Amino acid sequence: MTIPVNDALSVPGGLGAAGPAAAGAVRGRGRLRQSLSLWIPAGLLIVLIAACFLWPLVGNVPSPVGGSVLNSSLPIGSPGHLLGTDADGNDIFSRLLYGGRVSLEVGAATQLIGIALGGLIGMIAGFSRGLLAAALMRVLDVLIAFPSLVLALAIAEGLGPGELHVIWALSFYSVPAFARLARAGTLKLRDQNFMLAATLSGTRRWRIVLLHLAPNLLPQLLTFALLGAGVAIIQEGALSFLSLGVPPPGASWGNMIASGEQTMSVQPALVIIPCLALLITVATLNLLGDALRARWSAR
Amino acid sequence: MTAPTPALPAPAMAPAPTSVLEVRDLSVRYRPRGRVVHAVDSLSYSVPAGRTVAIIGESGSGKTASSRAIMGLLPRSAQVSGSAVLNGTELIGLGPKELRRHRGHDVAMIFQDPARSLNPTMRVGPQIAEAIRAHRPVGRAAARERVIELFRLVRLSAPEQRYSEYPHQFSGGMRQRVMIAMALSCSPRLLIADEATTALDVTTQAQIMRLLTGLQAQLGMAILMISHDLGLAASFADDVVVMYAGRAVERAPARELFGNVRMPYTSALLGAVPRLDRAAHTPLPVVGGRPPDLSAPPAGCPFAARCPRAAERCERERPELAEDEPGHAYACWYPLAGSAQAASEQPASAAAAAASASASEEER
Amino acid sequence: MGAGRVHEQVTVQESSNRSVPAAGSDAGAAAAAPGSGGPSASRASRVLRSSLLRLAGRRLLTAIPVVWGVTFLTFAVLNLLPGDAAQALLGADATPQEVAQLRVELHLNEPFLTRYGHWLGSAVTGHLGSSLGSGQLVTTILAQRLPVTFELIGYAFVISLVIAIPVATVAARRPGGVFDSVTTFITLIGLSIAPYILALLLILLFSVDLALFPALGWTPLSGGLGANLRSLTLPALSLGFPIGCFYTRLLRADVIEQLGEDYVVTAVAKGLPSWRVLVRHAVPNSMFGLITVVALNVGTLLGGTVIVEQIFGLPGVGQELFQAIQTRDFPVLEGIVAVFAVVVVVIGLLADLLYAVLDPRIRYDNPGQ
Repeated sequence: MTIPVNDALSVPGGLGAAGPAAAGAVRGRGRLRQSLSLWIPAGLLIVLIAACFLWPLVGNVPSPVGGSVLNSSLPIGSPGHLLGTDADGNDIFSRLLYGGRVSLEVGAATQLIGIALGGLIGMIAGFSRGLLAAALMRVLDVLIAFPSLVLALAIAEGLGPGELHVIWALSFYSVPAFARLARAGTLKLRDQNFMLAATLSGTRRWRIVLLHLAPNLLPQLLTFALLGAGVAIIQEGALSFLSLGVPPPGASWGNMIASGEQTMSVQPALVIIPCLALLITVATLNLLGDALRARWSAR
Repeated sequence: MTAPTPALPAPAMAPAPTSVLEVRDLSVRYRPRGRVVHAVDSLSYSVPAGRTVAIIGESGSGKTASSRAIMGLLPRSAQVSGSAVLNGTELIGLGPKELRRHRGHDVAMIFQDPARSLNPTMRVGPQIAEAIRAHRPVGRAAARERVIELFRLVRLSAPEQRYSEYPHQFSGGMRQRVMIAMALSCSPRLLIADEATTALDVTTQAQIMRLLTGLQAQLGMAILMISHDLGLAASFADDVVVMYAGRAVERAPARELFGNVRMPYTSALLGAVPRLDRAAHTPLPVVGGRPPDLSAPPAGCPFAARCPRAAERCERERPELAEDEPGHAYACWYPLAGSAQAASEQPASAAAAAASASASEEER
Repeated sequence: MGAGRVHEQVTVQESSNRSVPAAGSDAGAAAAAPGSGGPSASRASRVLRSSLLRLAGRRLLTAIPVVWGVTFLTFAVLNLLPGDAAQALLGADATPQEVAQLRVELHLNEPFLTRYGHWLGSAVTGHLGSSLGSGQLVTTILAQRLPVTFELIGYAFVISLVIAIPVATVAARRPGGVFDSVTTFITLIGLSIAPYILALLLILLFSVDLALFPALGWTPLSGGLGANLRSLTLPALSLGFPIGCFYTRLLRADVIEQLGEDYVVTAVAKGLPSWRVLVRHAVPNSMFGLITVVALNVGTLLGGTVIVEQIFGLPGVGQELFQAIQTRDFPVLEGIVAVFAVVVVVIGLLADLLYAVLDPRIRYDNPGQ
C-alpha cells in the first residue's frame, strides 16, 4: 500500500485511508461497477447542489424564516408545506434547502481555503529543506494534535455565531491538514525524475512548484477535499447544534436538529429530516471521494 | 531421551520407475478484460519417483503458472484444464478440502524469495510445526521435536535455538533451508522447487542444490525444478522440459538434451549461458525480439519471429511436440541436427531475412 | 494526534512490516543472530528491553514539546478571544467596576505571558489551579469527570473493534463477494454518520420508541455494572459505530493486501485451512495500519465526546470543556486540554510499543533505520 499519507488524516465522517476498493483487478463487470460508483455519487452531489442553490430561485419555495406561529408544527404533506413546518411555523423543506446552502458553502469554502493556503504551505515545507520546513511542520503538528472540534468551538465561541465565523473556525483545521498532506506528497514527488529534470533544466523554483508539483498533487488534494468537505459539514452541523454556528432563525441543518431535539419524542420528523440530509450529503461526498481515489490510485 | 519422535512413514524406495506426477495437456487460461491469455498450453510431462525433472523457460513462459496450477495456488480467475495425477490422484478440479490434504503432505513447494515466503511476525519453528500439525495429529511437543530434527536434516546450526527465532534473523541461504525443512516436514513424494535458488548468490545456490540432491537420495523424493537457469538444470536434473510461450518445445533426459539439442530456442538458451572457455570479452549471443503476446498466439511456431532458422512453414504451421527420437521430444520443423553448435541446414528464403531482422532488433 | 508522530510512524512502518521486509534486515539478522549456542534468550531480551526503552524515551522526548505547544496554543487562543471570565461570570448586567474588580481578583489583568508562566509553573508540579467560576480545584474536577469520559471512550473503542475485526476479516476473504459488497456499502454509509446524528437517531429508536436504553444520565459503577454499561451504551455506540466502520474499511484493505503476499501462498501450500491462513497469518500482519490510525484517532474521539456528552447528559470532561470555553475558564480549559494532549501522546507511545511487540523486526533491528 502506498505510504499512509491519507491514513494520517483519519477522521470519522471522513474516509482517510480505506484504500481502493479491493486489490483485485478491474475486470469487465468491475469496470461497470467502478464507473457507477463514481458517477452515481457525482450525480447525486450535483442534484444536491442544484436543489439547494437553484430550486429556491426557480421553484415555489416559501421563505425559510418568518413563518407564522399559526402554522406551527404542521405535519409532512400539508398543503403548501411539503415537509411540514417547525415549531415557529417555518417551512421545513425550505429550511432544508437553505440549510443545505450553508452546509455546502461551509464545506466548499473550508476546503478551498485549505487547499490554497494549506497546499501552498505544505508544498513549501516539503520543497525546502532545513529549519524553516521543520519549524513550520512542528507548528502544524501541534495544530493537528488538537482535537479539531475543540479548536473550532473555541474560535466560534470567540467570534460569535455566523456562517463566516464557522468557516474561519473550521479552516483552522483544514489548513494544517492539507499542509500535512501536501508536504507528504511533495516529499514523495520531490525525488522523482520529472522534478529533477525540471530543476536541472534551470526552471525557477516557483515555476516548478506551480507547473510541475501542483498538478501532480492536485488529484490527491482533491480527493481529500471531498472527504474533508464531509467532515467540515458535519462539524458545521455540530457547531450549529451547539448554537455556535448559524444563529436562529437562520436555517442550518445543525440548528434544525438542535431545535428539533427539544420536541423529539413528539415530532421526531423535525430531527430525522435534517439528520438524513446530513447523512446523505456526507455519504455522497465520501462515496465520491472513495471512487475518485480508487480511480486515481489505480493509475 | 524424551519420548520418541512420531514415526513418520519412511517413503518407499521403489525400484520401479512409477511416476510420482503425470501431467497431461495441462492448460491455464486467464481472461482479463475479455481477452484470453494462454499462460500454459497443453503441457505434458511426467516425473518419475526419485528423479529430478527441470522445467526451463524464460519469464512468461508459463513454467511457474503450470506448477502453481498443480498445487491449486492460482487465483480464482485462472481456468485450469487438463490432468495432473499425483500418486494416482487427479489434482486438477479437486475440491479445496481434498486439495488441502495433499498440499504439504504429498507434494510440497518451495519458492523463490524465502525472505517474503515466511511470515515475518511469527517464529520459524511454529510455522513449520503448523505444517506438520495440519496433516498429522501430533502434539505440540512432538511437533517441535520433529521440527528440530528437520533443521538438522537441512544442516541448520543450533537447531533448538533456531526454533524460536524469526525469519529476519536468518540469512538468505538459511531461510531457504528453513523453507526446505518446512516442505519436507511431512515427507512428500514430490518437491516442487520454483526458482528456489534464483534469489541466492552462486555459492549458496550450489550449497542448496547439493542439499536438495542429498535429501532426494536420502528420502527417495522426486524433485520438480523450475528455473530459467539452464546451467543449473544441466548439473542437477535428470530430465529437462523446455517451455516457451506456454508450451513445451523440447523434452529429453538432460544428457541427451545438452548433447543433442534439437530446438533452436534451446540452442539459443544454451548459447546465452556465459562460459569460461570462451575468449574474454566475447559478446554474449542474445536472442533478439520478445516472446509473443500470450493473448494472441501466432498461428505458426511461437518462436518463429526470433528464430534464425525460421522458414515460411514455421510461420504458417505450428509444430507439435513429437517424440522423433526415443525419449527426446521437440516441436520444430527444422530441428538442429547433431551438436549444439550446428548451424548448417539453413532452409532457404525467409531465413536469411529473419536472421538479419532478429539480429538487428537487439533487446534493449 | 501529532503529525510529527505520523511521519515517524511512517518511517518506522516502512522499515518494518507493510509487506516488504527491508532487505537490509539480512545485515541486521547477521548481526543479531547469535550463531553460537550461548544464552541467546537472555541476550535477546536484553536487546529487546533496551531498544524498547530507547524507543519509549525518544517518543517521550518529542512528546513534551507537543504537549507544551498544545497548552500554549490553547492559552493563546483563549486569550485572543474577546470577552473573558470575569465578563462571563458576572453576566451582562454587571457594571464595569464589578467586572474590573473581579478581574483583579482573578488576576486576569496581568499580562498574558505572566499568567501562562504561572500556570505552567504550577502545572508541572501537579497544581492545576482552580476554576475561575466555581473555585473548585481543577484536579478535583478532572478526577470526577475524567473517569466518565474515559469509560465512554473505552467502551466506544471496544465496540469499534468488535465491529471492525470480524467484518473486515470475513469480507477480505472474498473481495467483491456478497458479504463484502453489502458490508462495504453499509460501512461507507456508516462512517458518514456523525456521532451526534447517530446519537439522536439511536435515542429516537431505542429510548423513545423501544425504551431499552436510557436517553439521559449516567449511572456510575456504584449503581451496578449492568446499569452503568446500559447508560453508556447508546453514547458509546454513537461514537463507536462510525469509527468502527472506518476501521473496517481500513483493515479490510490491509488484509486483502496481505493475502496477496508470498507468505500467504506458502501457508496455503502447506495445506493449512483457509480460516487459519486468514486469522493466524494475514490478519495479525494487517494490524499495523490499524494501530497507526487508532492512535491518530484518539484526538478526534476525544473531541467527539463533547457533543455526545452534551446530548446524553453525561457528567464527563467533554461537557466541562464546552462550558469552560463559554465562560473563558482558562484553568479548567487548560487542565482538560493538557490531559487530552497527554492522553494523545501516551496512546501514540503505546501504539509504537505495540508495533514493537507485534513486529519482531523492529525489536531486534537497530531502531536507527
